[in-house]
Amino acid sequence: MLSATDIKHLGLTQTLELTTRDLYKFVVGRKSLSDDESQMLAQFHSHHVAYEQTINGLLGKNAVSERDEAMYVGFLQKLSESPNVWTALLQIENSLITTHTKSIESIESAKVAAVIASMITIEARHAAILATMTSTNLSLALDNKESVLVVS
Amino acid sequence: MIALTRRELLRLSGVSIASGLVLAACGKQAGVIDDNAITILGKSPVTTPLADAEVTDAVLLRTAASLEYNAIETYATALESKLLTGDLKKVAEMAKRFSEDHQQHADAVNALAVKLGAKEYLCGNSRINDAYLAPALKIITDSDNSNSAMDIVALAHAVENLAAQTYQGVVELLSDPMLRADAMRIGQQEARHAALLAQVLNPGLDHVGPTSDEKTGKPNIAAVPSAFGSLANIQLTVGKPKPDGSRTILLLETPSLNSLVYDFVACQA
Repeated sequence: MLSATDIKHLGLTQTLELTTRDLYKFVVGRKSLSDDESQMLAQFHSHHVAYEQTINGLLGKNAVSERDEAMYVGFLQKLSESPNVWTALLQIENSLITTHTKSIESIESAKVAAVIASMITIEARHAAILATMTSTNLSLALDNKESVLVVS
Repeated sequence: MIALTRRELLRLSGVSIASGLVLAACGKQAGVIDDNAITILGKSPVTTPLADAEVTDAVLLRTAASLEYNAIETYATALESKLLTGDLKKVAEMAKRFSEDHQQHADAVNALAVKLGAKEYLCGNSRINDAYLAPALKIITDSDNSNSAMDIVALAHAVENLAAQTYQGVVELLSDPMLRADAMRIGQQEARHAALLAQVLNPGLDHVGPTSDEKTGKPNIAAVPSAFGSLANIQLTVGKPKPDGSRTILLLETPSLNSLVYDFVACQA
């Protein structure tokens, strides 16, 4: 049984993953992407769907069903401008990693923390690949300077 | 099915109780002092009790530090081998940066271990080295191996996956939530290293996700191989091709009970 603290943090995580799922859905449908780019982003989108659904399973009746509208609109604006797509997606993934890691500091159940950790590992891989889409600078792919996301 | 009558059942239960009584009578009894009446032939060897091997947060952090040194040593070997030249010159730059990252990670986890009252661990995990890295390097650097350069990149990729998996795996074992988060702050960067090296080994956006070899059906190296971070063993394919075209496959596993760096484990000179 989940503690009240864990329910709160998983709820936040699910909200962020729901929002990211919808942001990727918006990007995948863009015609400016090549087939390979579109296929790769569809895969990343499917991962965020899997995260949201996994947390949904953990939360059960406490599950969240809505994205964070303020975060969605904020990133949608960036994603709407073609040259910013990769930078914005990188920012989203890095922000998720920072926020999920911060959540682990407070999550009481080790098993729940392990689930979030397995998501972070893959989101870090997403981020590294997204960084290579705009630059050969290793620091961009390796360093994460994004802050914790706050849900409205 | 064996059909037993009521009489046979009663007889069997009686025999069972009687056997139990005989065995109890033969066994060591509480409160009875051993008078050494039973003769022992020869001299029994003196036994040395094993040291207490408790898996604590400090042990897990020291083990993580040891893997960081394994990674540093792997990159040092790769750079000293002079194999990372020509098309792989950019990998040499990556190796330098990744090695610096691993040194920072080692310092960070050692600092956390010291905070818990443990000693810092400043060398590679000998068990991981002996079981996986040394045998892999022997195959890779064999003079008959024409794939040495890419194989050393494959070894680095396997080591990065090993490190990423280790940090992810210890999250469930660490008792302090703050340490779990610290582990993932480092582990996520190991995953980034692995993703970038995967793109060197199997380049192109169409190989970011999971694909398989058309001939063998085996999975190809992928930057993002699955939706969730795997904790399964890591496959490393190296060496010169055998007559049937296959190459040596080594399976790497994250540190287990026999490769953890317990409090009593010290660096070997």
